[in-house]
Amino acid sequence: MKDLADHLFDIIENSVNAGADEVIVKIAYTESYFFCFISDNGKGISGQEVLDPFVTSRTTRRVGLGLPLLKRTAEDTGGYLKIKRIDESGGTALQFKMYLTHIDAKPVGDLARTFSDIFFAWPEVTVRLFVIRDGIERLILDFQKLRDEIEQGLKNYTNIRKHIHEVSHKEFKDINII
Amino acid sequence: MKNIEELKMMREKVRQDLRLRSGQHRVRIVVGMGSCGIAAGAREVMNEFVTLVENSKKEDIVVTASGCFGFCAQEPMIHIYVEDQRPVTYRNVDIEAARLIFNEHVLNNKIVEQYLFSKGKK
Repeated sequence: MKDLADHLFDIIENSVNAGADEVIVKIAYTESYFFCFISDNGKGISGQEVLDPFVTSRTTRRVGLGLPLLKRTAEDTGGYLKIKRIDESGGTALQFKMYLTHIDAKPVGDLARTFSDIFFAWPEVTVRLFVIRDGIERLILDFQKLRDEIEQGLKNYTNIRKHIHEVSHKEFKDINII
Repeated sequence: MKNIEELKMMREKVRQDLRLRSGQHRVRIVVGMGSCGIAAGAREVMNEFVTLVENSKKEDIVVTASGCFGFCAQEPMIHIYVEDQRPVTYRNVDIEAARLIFNEHVLNNKIVEQYLFSKGKK
């Protein structure tokens, strides 16, 4: 993975593969760190074994690298990755933090692109993106709302990729400078 | 101001557009989006295909994503499903390959041997 944007896409791909159709992403960042919380309503995990690259449910190959790679990316900067099953819903929640000023930190990359890519890769999945700043959570993107607006003719389907990119880029542009 | 019937028609059309993206199309381009694919640049490839489809103004072509195909060393990989034909799989697809495959295979039904991985198998 060349940057954080790739990792984020990969983590949400995990959710989709686990049968999730709702994914909540919360991002908080400053100049010095990047924090991300993701929860889904997929089939969930049974324990911490997902962090072992040689444990995987897939049948196409015998290793799973997405989460171990992200864990390494976070820990290399003095950060962490935690993952757990959500007991009430059976889905999965994970959070990670990485320090952007650390010399081993990966570039953040085009996070806005990640979200427009997700909309195109899995149009039936609802992603809700929140940005946390100064302790206040704001809903930036809601794919369900976007789909409704397209249905009502308020937004044009062919321009939606650009729209998603613009909306999220506005939020992320501070961090993209780094 | 549009009347309610027109609005309903518009809504139905958009619903169909959305449904079509996961349903039946003449051509379906599936990009492998496992960890291996993403690390190898599959997102750029998917974006290129989406742009190519948009520019071609063809409405019977759809781009979607799938997981890992199990041949990670040859990512990015894509499958092309043309209606009534056996699927074709390409390997090491970069932006340039995507353009070539789109023009040759998707639009003109000619297989691009240079990037061919397999024919007829999933």
